[in-house]
Amino acid sequence: MNETLHLVQKLADWRARALEFEQEIQKAVIGQARVVRLVTICIFARGHVLIEGDVGVGKTTLLRSVSRALGGDFARVEGTVDMMPSDILYHTYLGEDGRPRVDPSELLRQAETLPVFFFNEINRARPQVHSLLLRLMAERSVSAFNRVHHFPYLNVFADRNMVEREETFELPAAARDRFLMEILMAAPDDEDARRRLVFDPAFHDTETLLERVSPGTLDYRETPAIARAIQTHVRSSDALERYVLNLWQALVDPSSAGVSLPDVDLDSLVKGGASPRGLAALVRAARVRAWLEGRDYLVPEDVRDVFIEVMAHRIFVDPIHALRGDDIVKRLCRAAFDATPVP
Amino acid sequence: MRIACIALMLAAALPACAQETTVRIHSARPFGYFVGDLIHARIDVSAPADSVLSRASLPNPGPLTGSLDLRDVKLSETSENGARLWRLDLTYQNFYVALDARDIEIPGFELSISTATGAQTVAVPAWRIGVSPLREIAPQKREQASDYLRPDGSSAFVDEATPLNLAFGAGVAALLALALVARDRAWPPFQQRQARVFSALAREISTRRGAGDAHLAATIQSVHRALDRANGAILLSADLPQFLRRRPEFKPLRVDFERFFETSQRLFFGGERSKDDYAAEQLAQFVSRLARQERAG
Repeated sequence: MNETLHLVQKLADWRARALEFEQEIQKAVIGQARVVRLVTICIFARGHVLIEGDVGVGKTTLLRSVSRALGGDFARVEGTVDMMPSDILYHTYLGEDGRPRVDPSELLRQAETLPVFFFNEINRARPQVHSLLLRLMAERSVSAFNRVHHFPYLNVFADRNMVEREETFELPAAARDRFLMEILMAAPDDEDARRRLVFDPAFHDTETLLERVSPGTLDYRETPAIARAIQTHVRSSDALERYVLNLWQALVDPSSAGVSLPDVDLDSLVKGGASPRGLAALVRAARVRAWLEGRDYLVPEDVRDVFIEVMAHRIFVDPIHALRGDDIVKRLCRAAFDATPVP
Repeated sequence: MRIACIALMLAAALPACAQETTVRIHSARPFGYFVGDLIHARIDVSAPADSVLSRASLPNPGPLTGSLDLRDVKLSETSENGARLWRLDLTYQNFYVALDARDIEIPGFELSISTATGAQTVAVPAWRIGVSPLREIAPQKREQASDYLRPDGSSAFVDEATPLNLAFGAGVAALLALALVARDRAWPPFQQRQARVFSALAREISTRRGAGDAHLAATIQSVHRALDRANGAILLSADLPQFLRRRPEFKPLRVDFERFFETSQRLFFGGERSKDDYAAEQLAQFVSRLARQERAG
């Protein structure tokens, strides 16, 4: 009984700190409240994130702010077509004596203290690199210098270049499924935020901007334990579980669930991706959202709020539709919600 | 009709009865009838109080002789001075084309009466009326046969304006009533009208019987489905502001909506039950309010 009370109290404290964490991030990244909320959910769900957004919308600033507010290190690599896995793990250079040296890369050196690893333009890297990343994300470990290096607090954030098609390698389905969410980050809609971003000199210098964020609002070393506590503490009722299973059915077999989209043959649309792992990720993220909203039980709004970010990038549709972009998947998700009654 | 009593009166003596049975025949006039004229006669039959007239013995309308029809028979029954009185109004029509003034006979008939002493027959005797010719026997010579004919009587002028206006007004009222019924039933062209989901739900809920959480849960689910139909998609509590913007007629019920969603959330998804939660009766009232707003919208 005391343990439960202690846990409830601890989660309440952590929730206050998580909300404070969001406030801190928003000192540096304005007009992106939703993106900040989703990133917070990913941190407490221990999930990796695909960030989709144009250049210059503030992805790096966001991630550096997150890293600073978590009190940990920040590592960033740029995906290139000639990048090899060893480039991520090893730092090769010529020593003062003129001999070649191989040292651990920045990533390896920070393994124990790294909460945020930003892989920019991940689809410019070759499949070998994706393969390494797959292990890093799934197991939070890599092998280098003949031993296994663990990354206990790591969250991978990756950006895809969606503009150019040449010299890019689309992420394989298995790699995409490893990401908890794909978050769309666009320029803010709010006119005041836009004006400040353009005219306020404070937003022109990232280094001074980052100093606005108080370091260590959250302790990244505690996030795994809190994440586990959230998952066990937030309850799901029978009605909610039935709802999630019905949503799943609506994605796997849309026509049988009464889902319809104009001009689309739904029988042949979905080719895969609505996996048990995807649904488990959905519930994990929804639980964190419920916790952030101050509840210890899930409601349908929690599921819906994170559904597209968690599920859309995992669903693979017929190539004829894939060429039209991901819009069809988002439409399918919305149609599934419109056709699945609750409670 | 003013009927003058004429001289015809006959008393039939019934020796076995203490009270006599009498028959009196009244006619408007005994003469001056032309071909086609109606002859109205009233026959009063007086009998002891306990008598019963056999209706089957009444004369039947139809041709009586070659030139006389019985057109109508009406019977009324009263009491007079402690005796039974049957009043028989008979209408005859004369078809006799008389060439000179003469009497013709109206045939008699018999009536059957039952009394305490047994069945009796009362004879209504034949009586006579005077008929007159329409023209002289040898009319003056005319050149043309058509000259003998008399012009038709002029037709009476009937003002059509009032009946036409009345008919037109009634027609418009009927069409209006039909349009109202069609709108109420959503017949074409009103089939596009949004279905009154809450009215239907209010009727359904009023017929439900039950108690407890299971009953409340089923009712809440029905309300959710009705809200989904009104919204055109699944409606969650987070969608309420957009829904109220789209359906402003429900705006006055915002607080009720919020209370409903909170009740539903606590019942289905695990929150602490609250005293503010809707009970089944309050839920029915909420649905009635929804139905009222729906009709107003």
